[in-house]
Amino acid sequence: MAISSRSTHRRLAVGSFIEEYANRVDILTFDEETLSIKPDPNLSIDHPYPPTKLMFHPSPKFSNDILASSGDFLRLYSVRDTSIEPISVLNNSKSSEFCAPLTSFDWNDLEPRRIGTSSIDTTCTIWDVEKGAVETQLIAHDKEVHDIAWGEAGVFASVSADGSVRVFDLRDKEHSTIIYESPQPDTPLLRLAWNKQDLRYMATILMDSNKIVILDIRSPTLPVAELERHRGCVNAIAWAPVSFQHICSGGDDSQALIWELPTVAGLNGIDPMSMYTAGSEINQVQWSAAMPDWIGIAFANKMQLLKV
Amino acid sequence: MDEVKTTVVADDILASASASVQWSPKQLVFRPYAPVIKSESRTPNFKKPLVSRLTKDIVETYRICNPKFNYSDELIPKRFLTNPSAGILNDGFDNENSDFILSVNCPLINSETQRRYIVKDTLGQGTFGQVAKCWVAELDRFVAVKVIKNQPAYYQQALVEVSILTTLNKKFDPEDKHHIVRIFDYFVYQRHLCIAFELLQSNLYELLKLNHYRGLSLSYVQLFSKQILYGLALMKDAAIIHCDLKPENILLCTRNGVKPPEVKIIDFGSACMEDHTVYSYIQSRYYRSPEVVLGYRYTTAIDMWSFGCIVAELFLGLPLFPGASEFDLLKRMIKIIGEQPPDYVLKEAKNTNKFFKCVGSVIHEDGSQASSSGRSIYQALSEEEYEVREMKKPSIGKEYFNHMNLEAIVKKYPYNKSLKDKELARECQMRLSLLDFLKGLVEFDPAKRWSPLQASKHPFVTGEPFTCPYKPAPETPRVPVSHNVKVDHHPAGGHWFAAGLSPNILGANRVGMYNNSHFQVTPYAHGGNFGSLGSHGSYNDGTGLGSSYGSYGDNSNMLKYYSPVGPSAMNNYAQNIPVLGSSPDARRRFMQIPHGSNGFAFSPAGNFAPMSLGTSPSQFTPPYSQVTAGSPGHYGPSSPARGNCHGSPLGKGTGSGNQINRRKGWGYSGNLPTQESPSSAHWQGQFPDVNSPNLNAGNWKKQQQRNSGNAGGHGSFSSGKPYLHPNSVIHDKPETSSSLPDPGDWDPNYSDELLLQDDSSELSNMTIEFSKGMQISQAFAPTESTVGVARYNHMSSSNMSTQRSHAESTPDLYAHPMMNSSHLTPHFTPSRLGQQPVQRFSHGRSMGSRGGEWGHVKVQAPLSSFSSGGQRSPGSNNNAPWGRRGNHPIAANIVPSSHGGNEYGRIA
Repeated sequence: MAISSRSTHRRLAVGSFIEEYANRVDILTFDEETLSIKPDPNLSIDHPYPPTKLMFHPSPKFSNDILASSGDFLRLYSVRDTSIEPISVLNNSKSSEFCAPLTSFDWNDLEPRRIGTSSIDTTCTIWDVEKGAVETQLIAHDKEVHDIAWGEAGVFASVSADGSVRVFDLRDKEHSTIIYESPQPDTPLLRLAWNKQDLRYMATILMDSNKIVILDIRSPTLPVAELERHRGCVNAIAWAPVSFQHICSGGDDSQALIWELPTVAGLNGIDPMSMYTAGSEINQVQWSAAMPDWIGIAFANKMQLLKV
Repeated sequence: MDEVKTTVVADDILASASASVQWSPKQLVFRPYAPVIKSESRTPNFKKPLVSRLTKDIVETYRICNPKFNYSDELIPKRFLTNPSAGILNDGFDNENSDFILSVNCPLINSETQRRYIVKDTLGQGTFGQVAKCWVAELDRFVAVKVIKNQPAYYQQALVEVSILTTLNKKFDPEDKHHIVRIFDYFVYQRHLCIAFELLQSNLYELLKLNHYRGLSLSYVQLFSKQILYGLALMKDAAIIHCDLKPENILLCTRNGVKPPEVKIIDFGSACMEDHTVYSYIQSRYYRSPEVVLGYRYTTAIDMWSFGCIVAELFLGLPLFPGASEFDLLKRMIKIIGEQPPDYVLKEAKNTNKFFKCVGSVIHEDGSQASSSGRSIYQALSEEEYEVREMKKPSIGKEYFNHMNLEAIVKKYPYNKSLKDKELARECQMRLSLLDFLKGLVEFDPAKRWSPLQASKHPFVTGEPFTCPYKPAPETPRVPVSHNVKVDHHPAGGHWFAAGLSPNILGANRVGMYNNSHFQVTPYAHGGNFGSLGSHGSYNDGTGLGSSYGSYGDNSNMLKYYSPVGPSAMNNYAQNIPVLGSSPDARRRFMQIPHGSNGFAFSPAGNFAPMSLGTSPSQFTPPYSQVTAGSPGHYGPSSPARGNCHGSPLGKGTGSGNQINRRKGWGYSGNLPTQESPSSAHWQGQFPDVNSPNLNAGNWKKQQQRNSGNAGGHGSFSSGKPYLHPNSVIHDKPETSSSLPDPGDWDPNYSDELLLQDDSSELSNMTIEFSKGMQISQAFAPTESTVGVARYNHMSSSNMSTQRSHAESTPDLYAHPMMNSSHLTPHFTPSRLGQQPVQRFSHGRSMGSRGGEWGHVKVQAPLSSFSSGGQRSPGSNNNAPWGRRGNHPIAANIVPSSHGGNEYGRIA
């Protein structure tokens, strides 16, 4: 799911996960006055395979809402008032019929031309979406890349099945910096969230782990905190858009937890500030600057907006 | 969500916004956290979370969604660790430098044991090849694997390392107590010899660097000194000279627990047996002993000199003798030590005239005159005098220490300010002890220099209070160990190979290295050894045996060593019966070794040394490889020079070409082929009379047998039945005429290529001797003997050019271009001193035969040859930046990225 950054419409995008080729992406409108969420039959479009991520154009001022999705390819859609139209399908595969699926992408909010995608072929591709061309492709990891997140206009980080978090600077493509490696080699890292309020911090989750690992890029390799209060594996994380020390997580224990990073960790670990129990395993958490008071979660076939 | 049902669950409690500066979530739907004690009775979720199914298991998910979906790992771009990563040689497995192209997660497989070494990272790169950090699943540990270049010379040299290290490990130090790196395994994979070692940590140079080039505390200096001495004592017992001891080759071991740090000596790639000191150009310059500089015969004592330099450097943080040239080096030694080499050394040393002038009359041959008067009859040349003699200015480095004598350097080195009175007194005492210790190590007279055993009893090492200058007990004379060793593996390890190494031989020949006593016994052993030593044929003592490098694996020499046949093989050789030899490439070759002394009489092999240098990469690879070598023209099909390869200009051309390439490779720059081409053309022109068809075999595998063991391919010159070594190259260097710069002068960068130049005069011998020794198994083409002559010319010209280029590039070397910041532990990195030569000059044993032989040289090198050579080198300099970056065209290919240091590129 994704939340539009535009202030004029409270728009959300949700994608299906159906184990069939045909999946869908729907655009919903949220009315904060009436607290209602309305689907619009006109704003629904087929999507091949389940999308791995949806995201709206990061600039609130952009004339048209543009939605991007990753899956077999990176796709861009124009979302108008009454219709949703594909703009382009960005495919970096040169040869084979089936390219390596994209596990995720991130739209650079400081440089909205740039979208970075992560792929299981170990690479990250930086697209110039205005030109529809690849700006660069990096072999980012030794195994599948599972997520990517921009920090600055030219700096991104990625996580991989190789268990590492690496930071890349497009000005110096010769090097990357490993800022974390999972303790057991090759424990896949699935998702990554860079704290936009304080770029020193990022958070990642390990596969089949109830841990959220908080990293400080100033102290590579040693996490500054590990949040371990979920009773199932953690599936999604989102930093607060308005505070540098809050993060929300959702997991297989059906819980959404809001954490405040303490300045000093206690002996017994860190407890979350607050919790919400959903009806089943939470698969997605969104917390957007456009709607900072609302956290979106997705579980089963439901999407909820939770006021905070 | 198959269908989107949405609900808004926000309780409609629009709580009054408590507008605090500090954001905190309102307690609406989110409730204060309370740990849940009891486990819920919800049915456990057997399905993996969506996030896993969209990341880790996405391929499976896609297959479920679309049964036709197909994705294979082959689509994954490789993250190359080798640079350049373009597959040019060896069916695309090797790059232009004959380095195996390593990529992350590619396996190196020992086909015999099926053990798989999974490449994870690169630890370093050198002229010999690369070192990869590999994971071995069945051992559950990382090891360091040296992947040798696919070139015969390096292959040979690496075999020496294998045999020497195996001997040291198994025979002399089975319990791993002597601080020498352990060798685990060796095998050939895709034509590359791979040697697995234990993985160690950073080297002492890096340690000093991390310490900002400040010295270590004396307790560490003492600790490391003691450990290194254990290793040196063992090596002396084994009669093995390391020949390249320096801080870069002393590595810290992985620390376990609270034990004191430990170091180990690595890199026996330059080592030799004490009774087979084949090369004269050895040791990295700062650590080079005076006898090596002067061209005097050397022993394990040269390692003790290096050791002294290392101890001083550990204390000072900077090298004691950072000579910018050999002249500068010697000058620094003399100034710091306050003495000069003893007259008896100067009298006999080959290079004395380069650095000293004789100022007294030599009355007594034994030098007693000089000693009795207390004054040497030799006086070191001044800079001006050197310039006049050598026709060039010596490079003089800057001085790190203001006090240019050892005592002042040690005593006045800054004290740790935190030391209290008592500690300060102890420090002063220990420094006196250290000073006395160093004096016994950096002693000009190799006979007086302390042995490892003597040094290990010095108070500085034992920790006893230092009261008076240490007088070591004389070493008890004992049966030279080398003698004993001979029984087993003498000489020089060649045998070892015989026994143990024949990589491709279909597995037939893994024979325990030490099991074949027969080999050792045979009279031929000696000769053979040389070959095996990888001596590159440089051995010149006229008795002969030089094994030619050119011959590579195919060489008969090699055969001996590799021969799976075992002991009997030797006999066969002796009888002149063709033996099925196994050369590394597993092809069969027939070889015959000449019977009797004739066969071995070829001294000239020395000339070939250069070949070995890997100067002819193409031998191992398809013909076009030559192009990369830099002299395409030469090897081109039409090249007249072919048959003669040895010593032929080809050699030179390629040699220098390689040099350049290699260097570039090091620096990661692009290719120079274009530059080389003029020179190659040049060479060709010079040898019009040589006609050999090209058989080209660029593949060394294709080459068939070789001639006699010793002469190897060389025989072809005289016999006219060349053994074709199409690509092999020889570099001979005319006796060091004073006009040619000495490699040492520019050698920080000195790398194997330099080695190409041989001392010299041996050239002439070649032609003569060959005729007898030759045996041809397969003549590829008629050849004329004139080649040898021509070669001479080439040599000189090419030498000049190469040297020049080196000289120019020297300064850059001080940087560690290859070092990645993240890799603190490379075993092999180009050192600041430049690479240790893989090949060296032969040590002058053939002196007697020199001189007269030059008569053979009939052809003078046309002037043009010089110029072409000259042009070439400057050009190459320009194009060969040393820095690592810059050279990577980021543009086109995916280059890997990684950890702090590995590179990645992009796909444009």
